[in-house]
Amino acid sequence: MARRSPGKGRLIAVEGTRGHDVRDGASAWWQRLEGRKVRGGVSTWDASGIFSDLRVEKRKHLSLSPRTLLLLYAADLVFRLRWQIRPGLDQGQVIIAAPYVDTAVAFGVAGGLSRSWLTRLFAFAPPPDACYRIKERGRASRSKGKTLDGFVEFCIAILADEATPAGASQLRKDMVAYFEGLEAKSKCPRLTRRVISSPPV
Amino acid sequence: MVRARDKKRGLLIAFEGPTGAGTSTQRRLFKVWLEQQGHEVVTSKWISSRAIRPLMKARARLHALSPEELCLLQAADFRHRLETQILPALWQGKTVVADRFLFTSLARASARGLDLDWLLFAHAPLFWPDLVFYFSVSPTTSTTRVAAAHAPRFYDAGQDVTNIADPVASYRRFVGRMIKEYESLALIFQFVTIDGEQPIYEQHRRMRRLFDEKRRQPWGQWNMEAVVEWLAWSPAAAEVRRGASIPR
Repeated sequence: MARRSPGKGRLIAVEGTRGHDVRDGASAWWQRLEGRKVRGGVSTWDASGIFSDLRVEKRKHLSLSPRTLLLLYAADLVFRLRWQIRPGLDQGQVIIAAPYVDTAVAFGVAGGLSRSWLTRLFAFAPPPDACYRIKERGRASRSKGKTLDGFVEFCIAILADEATPAGASQLRKDMVAYFEGLEAKSKCPRLTRRVISSPPV
Repeated sequence: MVRARDKKRGLLIAFEGPTGAGTSTQRRLFKVWLEQQGHEVVTSKWISSRAIRPLMKARARLHALSPEELCLLQAADFRHRLETQILPALWQGKTVVADRFLFTSLARASARGLDLDWLLFAHAPLFWPDLVFYFSVSPTTSTTRVAAAHAPRFYDAGQDVTNIADPVASYRRFVGRMIKEYESLALIFQFVTIDGEQPIYEQHRRMRRLFDEKRRQPWGQWNMEAVVEWLAWSPAAAEVRRGASIPR
């Protein structure tokens, strides 16, 4: 992993398989922090516009594999680190990255990619001070979400469009299993109302 | 299935070198010659992926890319071209001529100061060409040829790392670093070096001879990994998957 920013800020990762819920959870938490006069902000997926620009093209003909999608996610994360996350941390602020590295790693593992490759790819990203997961409500297959709701929705739409719907559905389930594994090791606990109301920052 | 296909697959020939080394000229000549020899030839050019190229062009125009972003987008372009152009063609037995393949991205990103080990990971699983021709020219020759044609673009000139306002002056400095990186890669990965300052036809004749002498070898482990992943996941391999009932 990259070294932590020399600033005194704190980086909090909010992860999950449903982009809409991740964004809402991060936003609710940030509102609470803002109320306590904490300085900082939320860094969300696709700040660089890479995925929005891809959507402009005819999505059905993109033919992007999980590995290519992760390289694009990494490019977007470099952008977020450069313009949103590192400057905030350097100024001593609290930055909520929603999502950060674990969502991408979960997607990669579910897509059959090796953990060592994923770890090395994201070595440029500083480790967060805390990591929380937004747990899925209801059955995963019920909520497909919109393409630009989040990274996972975008990827599943791309993969499902390319005659691999069964694989795409399994992929989300495998991601949930990965997060449950992390939770069992207390590495990425569930983001509860209690955590939001009394944030550890 | 992959082993069985390996015997019938097409060949991948990569042309590498800095701008002005003559790779495109030689690639065109070589393609015509290969077609005359009965090969069905597909050309794949650097940063030409239909999905990634527009993203890169828009961002490059704004000079908004950091070396890491540039490298990751180039790696995405490489992966996308590999999965949608190169592997499908090789699978069908066609010969692929790559006008700059993987090593140009590596040389340029290393010249920008990125760690080669991380770069190799970002491009993994690597896909090894059957033959890599590296066109070697001096920094002076490359700069003279580039400046005679047009002013190099911002990232081609390395202006993002040299901070020199004049594109040609920046290119002169950047190409020196780039050539050093190419030469290290040529040693590590055993490229066939062609003297890009020799007459065009001399270079071409040497390439023909080297190609004829080249013995066909089975795909190595890295290539097998890339092919297996392509077959399992790439939407571009959906046809092959359906035909062969490959489970995910």
